[in-house]
Amino acid sequence: MKQAGSKNLFSINNRLKRLKRDTNKWAILTLVLLGFIALPVISIGIKLFSGPGETWGHILENLLLDYIGNSLFLVFMCGFMVVFLGVSTSWLVTRFEFPFRKQLEWLLILPLAIPSYIVAYSYAGILDYGGSLELILRVFGLEFSRIDIMNKTGLAFVLGISLFPYVYVSSRAFFLNQANNLMEASKMLGVGEIKSFFKLILPLARPAIVAGLILVLMEVLNDYGAARYFGVNTFTTGIFRSWFSLAEPETAVYLSALLISIVFGLILLEKFQRRKIQFSNNRSGSAGIQRRTVSKGLQCVISCAVWLPVLLGFLIPVAQLIYWGWLTYDNVFSSSFLILSFQSFGIAFLTALITVTVAIALIYFSKWSRSNSLKNIAKLGVLGYAIPGAVVAIGIMIPTIFIDTWLIKIVEALFQIQPGLIISGTLIALIYAYVVRFLAVAFNPIEATALKVSDSIPDSSRILGVGNIKTFFKIDFPLIKTGILSAFILVFTDVIKELPLTLILKPFQVNTLAVKAYEYASDEMVMKAAIPSLLIILTVMLPIIFLNRLLVK
Amino acid sequence: MKQLIFLIALLGFSACKNNTEKTGSSSQEQANVVNVYTHRHYSSDQELFDLFEKNTGIQVNVINASADELIQKMKIEGAHSPADVLITVDAGRLTRAKELNLLQPVNSELLKKTIAPHLRDPEDYWFGLTKRARILVYAKDRMEEANLSTYEDLAGEKWKGKILIRSSGNIYNQSLLASLIVNNGEAGAKKWAQAIVNNMARAPKGNDRDQVKALVAGEGEVAVVNTYYIGNMLNSESPEEVKAAKAIGVFFPNQKGRGAHINISGAGVARYAPNRENAIHLIEFLISREAQEIFANTNYEYPVNPEVQPAALLQSWGEFREDSLLLSKLGENNKNAVMIFDEAGWK
Amino acid sequence: MLQIELLSKSFDKGKNFALKDVSFHLKQGDICAIVGESGSGKTTLARLIAGLETPDQGSIRIDGNMVSSTGRLVPPEKRKVGLVFQDYALFPHLSLMQNVVYGISKDKNKNERAEEILKLVGLKELKDRYPYELSGGQQQRVALARALAPNPSLLILDEPFSNLDSMLRMQLRNEIFEIVKNTEVTAIFVTHDTQDALAVADEILILQNGRLIQKDEAANLYTKPKSIYVASLFGNTIQLSSELQSAFKCPLKEDCCAAVRNENFAINTECEHVTHARVLKKTFLGPDTRLLLRLENGQQLTVLTKDKIVEDGIIIGFNSTDVLQFTS
Repeated sequence: MKQAGSKNLFSINNRLKRLKRDTNKWAILTLVLLGFIALPVISIGIKLFSGPGETWGHILENLLLDYIGNSLFLVFMCGFMVVFLGVSTSWLVTRFEFPFRKQLEWLLILPLAIPSYIVAYSYAGILDYGGSLELILRVFGLEFSRIDIMNKTGLAFVLGISLFPYVYVSSRAFFLNQANNLMEASKMLGVGEIKSFFKLILPLARPAIVAGLILVLMEVLNDYGAARYFGVNTFTTGIFRSWFSLAEPETAVYLSALLISIVFGLILLEKFQRRKIQFSNNRSGSAGIQRRTVSKGLQCVISCAVWLPVLLGFLIPVAQLIYWGWLTYDNVFSSSFLILSFQSFGIAFLTALITVTVAIALIYFSKWSRSNSLKNIAKLGVLGYAIPGAVVAIGIMIPTIFIDTWLIKIVEALFQIQPGLIISGTLIALIYAYVVRFLAVAFNPIEATALKVSDSIPDSSRILGVGNIKTFFKIDFPLIKTGILSAFILVFTDVIKELPLTLILKPFQVNTLAVKAYEYASDEMVMKAAIPSLLIILTVMLPIIFLNRLLVK
Repeated sequence: MKQLIFLIALLGFSACKNNTEKTGSSSQEQANVVNVYTHRHYSSDQELFDLFEKNTGIQVNVINASADELIQKMKIEGAHSPADVLITVDAGRLTRAKELNLLQPVNSELLKKTIAPHLRDPEDYWFGLTKRARILVYAKDRMEEANLSTYEDLAGEKWKGKILIRSSGNIYNQSLLASLIVNNGEAGAKKWAQAIVNNMARAPKGNDRDQVKALVAGEGEVAVVNTYYIGNMLNSESPEEVKAAKAIGVFFPNQKGRGAHINISGAGVARYAPNRENAIHLIEFLISREAQEIFANTNYEYPVNPEVQPAALLQSWGEFREDSLLLSKLGENNKNAVMIFDEAGWK
Repeated sequence: MLQIELLSKSFDKGKNFALKDVSFHLKQGDICAIVGESGSGKTTLARLIAGLETPDQGSIRIDGNMVSSTGRLVPPEKRKVGLVFQDYALFPHLSLMQNVVYGISKDKNKNERAEEILKLVGLKELKDRYPYELSGGQQQRVALARALAPNPSLLILDEPFSNLDSMLRMQLRNEIFEIVKNTEVTAIFVTHDTQDALAVADEILILQNGRLIQKDEAANLYTKPKSIYVASLFGNTIQLSSELQSAFKCPLKEDCCAAVRNENFAINTECEHVTHARVLKKTFLGPDTRLLLRLENGQQLTVLTKDKIVEDGIIIGFNSTDVLQFTS
């Protein structure tokens, strides 16, 4: 009897029975949410089946090698640069005491406040003929020899210097929590500072570093503005070229699919590598950081090393923008900028709120569904970050217009009036697109903090008779709110800076600072873009400084 | 504090929302609005839209993006697209929009009378608003104007390592090559593109202004740029740009033959325009004397209205012969041009 | 009160079973211990009863209500089960009082009830403290108070003492089960430590590799273990291999396996089965001394003895009543 029972325990029939039993509202809600997130990707992905466009062969023959070569070059150069800058600076500020350390801690995050295409414009402006550098050198009577930044190495530099804070933030979080104990243990074993760092800290910090690195690489692969201005052909410029210049969405989709598989490959590679070494997570916080005080000379060296990226990634570009802003202030600035800033802020705020909510819902619904496969599938929700903004925008339009046509028919039949488009062309579509695009930015920090809460804590709440939702608000939420807040601020920052998607989907009358900056810059009025750019930086700076205080605490 | 921020955001959102609802509902009532999808983002345009609003009471709603993206948007929006007018900065994109069935013909005597036939669609689907010529510039202190003659001449050996021109992703270059395809055939155009790539002073990068600055700094001997950028540079806020622009000479090529390559910035009425009449009004307004004066003087473009004189600066460059090629041909050959660029290795 | 039938759970779709065909019943007010090594499935069993895992097969009834079967699953919050986690799982952002009130927030006189239960565990004075301000033993008692507050029909304690040092552990164990017994709740106590189980439980379940090996009263488990594994849970047990059987002249039936508990070996006393042995090595272990012996027939044997002084040559043996026999 018993034997018979267990033999077909995993027969299709029994599995279906259990599936029916275990299918709860959480599983369904997770799938519904995922469906919404995946809808734009799917509506574009369908085009994969219709075969590549007629120019696919042309691209394969003339351009693909260039795209792959340049994109990989950027991935490796930027990857190397952001890891080097991010890890070294975070290590220095967590391990050593030196003048202005506290200020540098948040200054190091600020490069994130400047959109990378703006950094590209300002560097080009500095190093240009008649640029700021030449003017300064002239004052000192020095000869100007031009440094050409408008090539792929220059692009890698610009992207690296404006994106390294992602790695800085994630590795610093690890160092703040773990490094002290580990270093003490290592030193007890008679291993020196430098060797301990490379042998012990670096391998252990790898997951944290890689988490930041993956965000950087997705941004790098996604960059359009800077690459185009510098004349570097990458996958993303190629996607734009085939979609728009050659009017072949099919080919663009093929390129996007290739791009996504590169990103996916990178993620899998990392996962596979990491699987070999499982680190147990030391959950108890460390007993405060003890920073080393070193000799004045060494302090000087450390200060220089930390100031340099701040200077290159933030102060210099901002100085250039201020100079341009000063030149163009009279012609450009008007009170309408206040409304513009207000709108940007409102949209970013709302989007961040929704994105964070969706990320939380996805993480917790899949967890509550108690299905492991769902938990893994939920992670796919973050892939939108790998898709270029313009492609996401088109992907959003296809289904929303479809729904709209349908809605319009209903409204027409019911009320005999002709409504315009209902969803597309409104803020709903725009925010929907932002959510799809930036879910990863919210997902990762929230998931990371959620993992630090032992499962038994929400479990005991359930056992005490409190349902999932109430448990979340009473127990999980207070415990993960730092993660939620950082997610919120990161999304907010990204939305304020976002460009291609906003351009395509923004409703009439709505405008953002980034769009305004682009309108000037795209028509070779780079200098005039300075004022809106400075406003972007200002809007983003305060939340970032706040974020820093949150993370250090 | 948190509540306050939230409240502000909420208010901001509801304000935006009200706006969109207003436009959404008003468009169906055929109220006084006109929805413009435009690639032009010049201050002159905003000035003109404001003026139009003041004159007619018709509210102008604007979406700014690249023409390619706007065309995709209209294509997907289909019959329910709110777009009334599509404005681009080249004829090629308008032709594409027409081919994709996104525009409708407009029967307006005023438009036909004012705009020269080669500057508008033969079937009246779109109309030029302003002209710009793609010309050659050189450093006055280093070179004689006499060295320059035609676009075709740039392919010659003597220009090796001396030509400055931006990347092939740029629509002005694509249109220039399209005009060469029409005039010299595909094979000739391809040979030309390859020769230019060989003659380039550096890999293509930056925008037209950057080419001028590189020219003045001595990186090359001749640069290919659009006329209105020179005008804008001469009136730039940056003293360095003004200095650079003053150091160069302007040359209109092919004057002994077909004339300098020109392109237009133009407009068409969307196929499903909910406010068709207003759309036509707007286009007619944009070619009126009043409007053309503003185009000419704030953005240094050549007016299409023959009654209006170009800006004084442009007049100082003298009259020139312009290629009278039907501009719709540029659109027909655009894709071809892009592919030739790729094959020639023009980045 | 609790009825479990044929419960099975696999985490890898049937390749390995964390729990396989486990069935047993508990009566109202029973205190039952589930004993097993780590990986034996005892925690899985506890989580299945609490509703934190979904079984692949089998059913669970609590108070006559079907809470888990192939077709039906009652969520944990509706099962009226109390669970004390191994890591206590106190809500770190809530005070003791708030922790205890948490599960009874709908009650009218929740505060009285919470204070009463905190008094029961002797922590009433600390009610406004936060969990991180407490010692491990205090946290343990809060976890118990919190679990008891809603009057669960069944209380599960999952390895509640594993995080405590051994001195505290004994004291706390007795305290805790004093409280549990006074509340008359049916309790399941999951542990890897047989001593703990013996000390508090009326009945003990032995789990090995996901299977229920034996369920019995403590005394019966000791005298009539069903396998050598069960026997060895109560202390060092020496299996009688055929060599040992011949050394002690104690032949057994072929298909049967036998063992003798260490404490039943007697040195230099009258026994039914004896043999001469040489002491090869003595290790002092406090109350016991470990002897490595070579028997007459050359076999080596390690035994523990309370005797402090042992000569080099001894006689060692046991009585046949002490031989535990299992069908293999």
